[in-house]
Amino acid sequence: MNALETTGLGMRHRRTWALRDCSVAVPAGRVAALVGPNGAGKTTLLRLAVGLLTPTTGQVRIFGRPARESGERTAFVAQNKPLYTGFRVSEMLRFGRGLNPRWDDAAARRRLTELGIPLDRRIGRLSGGQRTQVALTVALAKRPDLLMLDEPLADLDPLARDDVARGLMGAVAETGLTVLLSSHVVSELEGVCDWLVVVNGGRVQVSGDIDELMARHSLLTGPAETADALAARLPVVSRSGAGRQATLLVRDDAPPPDPRWSARPVTLEEMVLAYLRTPDAAALPRPALSPAH
Amino acid sequence: MFWLTWRQHRVQILVTGGLLLALGVLMLVSALRATAYLAEYAPPGCPGPAVSCSAVNQVVYTDHYRPVFLVFGLLPIFGAALIGVFWGAPLLAAEFERGTNALAWTQAVPIRRWLTVKLGMLGALVAGAALALSAMVGAWRNIFSGVTGDVTMEPGNFTITGIVPAAWWLFAFAVGAAAGTVTRRTLAAMAVTVAVICLALPVVFSSRPSYAEPVRVVTADRSSVARGGGALVRESWVDPSGRELTAPPPPPCPLPAGVDTRSDRAQLLGEECLVGSGYRYAVYYHPVDRFWRFQLTETAILLTGALAFGALAVVRTLRHRG
Repeated sequence: MNALETTGLGMRHRRTWALRDCSVAVPAGRVAALVGPNGAGKTTLLRLAVGLLTPTTGQVRIFGRPARESGERTAFVAQNKPLYTGFRVSEMLRFGRGLNPRWDDAAARRRLTELGIPLDRRIGRLSGGQRTQVALTVALAKRPDLLMLDEPLADLDPLARDDVARGLMGAVAETGLTVLLSSHVVSELEGVCDWLVVVNGGRVQVSGDIDELMARHSLLTGPAETADALAARLPVVSRSGAGRQATLLVRDDAPPPDPRWSARPVTLEEMVLAYLRTPDAAALPRPALSPAH
Repeated sequence: MFWLTWRQHRVQILVTGGLLLALGVLMLVSALRATAYLAEYAPPGCPGPAVSCSAVNQVVYTDHYRPVFLVFGLLPIFGAALIGVFWGAPLLAAEFERGTNALAWTQAVPIRRWLTVKLGMLGALVAGAALALSAMVGAWRNIFSGVTGDVTMEPGNFTITGIVPAAWWLFAFAVGAAAGTVTRRTLAAMAVTVAVICLALPVVFSSRPSYAEPVRVVTADRSSVARGGGALVRESWVDPSGRELTAPPPPPCPLPAGVDTRSDRAQLLGEECLVGSGYRYAVYYHPVDRFWRFQLTETAILLTGALAFGALAVVRTLRHRG
């Protein structure tokens, strides 16, 4: 079962497409990273998935149901962590309790107490990290099956970033919910996410299990004069190099056919950057299938 | 949802309630003082239309009625504008502006229910507040009915009496809410709201005389109509043969020597001369017994407008909620 599934999803703002022909699936139980440069369409995809935007083309399904009928099963934390700044923390909890039948008030209070966030503090007087934690608490206390977070770790200091990431991981371990979080910083996703979606220029470039994707890609290094011949025989994602050394990132896990070349595994960041530098390259399984190959 | 509506709008609710209370106290004090004054100084049978009452009528009118009427005489315009600006405009604009639409409309409660409760609960409070004000004004004015006669058809009084205030306030509230979905900024929505209300007020006020065909009375004494308390529409001259004239006829009698033809006195003498020569006034007016008919007509017009703007706000919110 896919927690999130989009088919041919497109969103046009006046003349420009913020997202185009996007078919992507996130299986249930995954922690998926939605990666791409600023303005790639990440926010648009998330806002379509929670039903805040109406797609121009295609559709979104949340556990097989239309996005706008899934308010009870999804939770969303938007980029600026919107909360009512005049409310006290306890009033934000009352807001959540009043608007969500599955609300878990005890868990929310416990979580905030553990984080040392006073319930009578006004939202406007919280630090950035505390505010993110309150927004995350309100989202988690809904007991959603799919939690979507838009840049949850942006504009947090490293300590708060680590706290938020760990809080999120704790909740995933406890409840087994599916998470989709967007980010433009790839390094902060390693060890947190196990599914990757790369969007670039309004299109989906990569979608799949992170371990599998990494196993299917390798970084080849060898003499520059033979690079063209090798590149003609292998699916090259990106190529770089200086002087007589050339480096190819290829979507292939077989050892290089030319003995003068050496291969080593890619890191997540190298792989993502290689795709972002080459917007025409793509690594997409057919949507709605269990992990490809 | 009800708690949320109260929590988000309690400032408006409390301030409006406080202002109503202050106006109520003002009118209560005024009514008590006027009653005490009348009990002490009014001759038997006064206040009333009798000539012997005119002195006491005059005192009560200038010292007790007019100062308070000046306070709420502006309310038909300001009250509606304030409701539109502080109740209507922020309702949706503030959610868009602060990005909390992404919070409020991604909860389990569907956006339709959110809109229904907010618009319904706040609309009911707005209407209730307007009716409370109109009831207080009505009770206060009853004290002065002997002094002023029936003034409910006067434009200023008509707008603040009966059910029309509720219709105006609801209209303004809906305009504000709709403006918020267009501008998505609170301040801009407030400005648009004021602009729309400023346009709507003269349109509605100037169309009021055409809610019904006015009554036509041919009379030599036109102040008799004014004393009855109706709303004057227009008047013209009728010549001795009964034909209505479009322009005032030239007075047939010569003016006494030393009277400037442009003076008020020349005007008065000319009119007296015309009446003496068989000319009459044709007065078109709406008598006071049309009060409720006019109230219902204006309420229907404004509620139609309120529904149209309310529907615009709902449709735009549902379409562009993100």
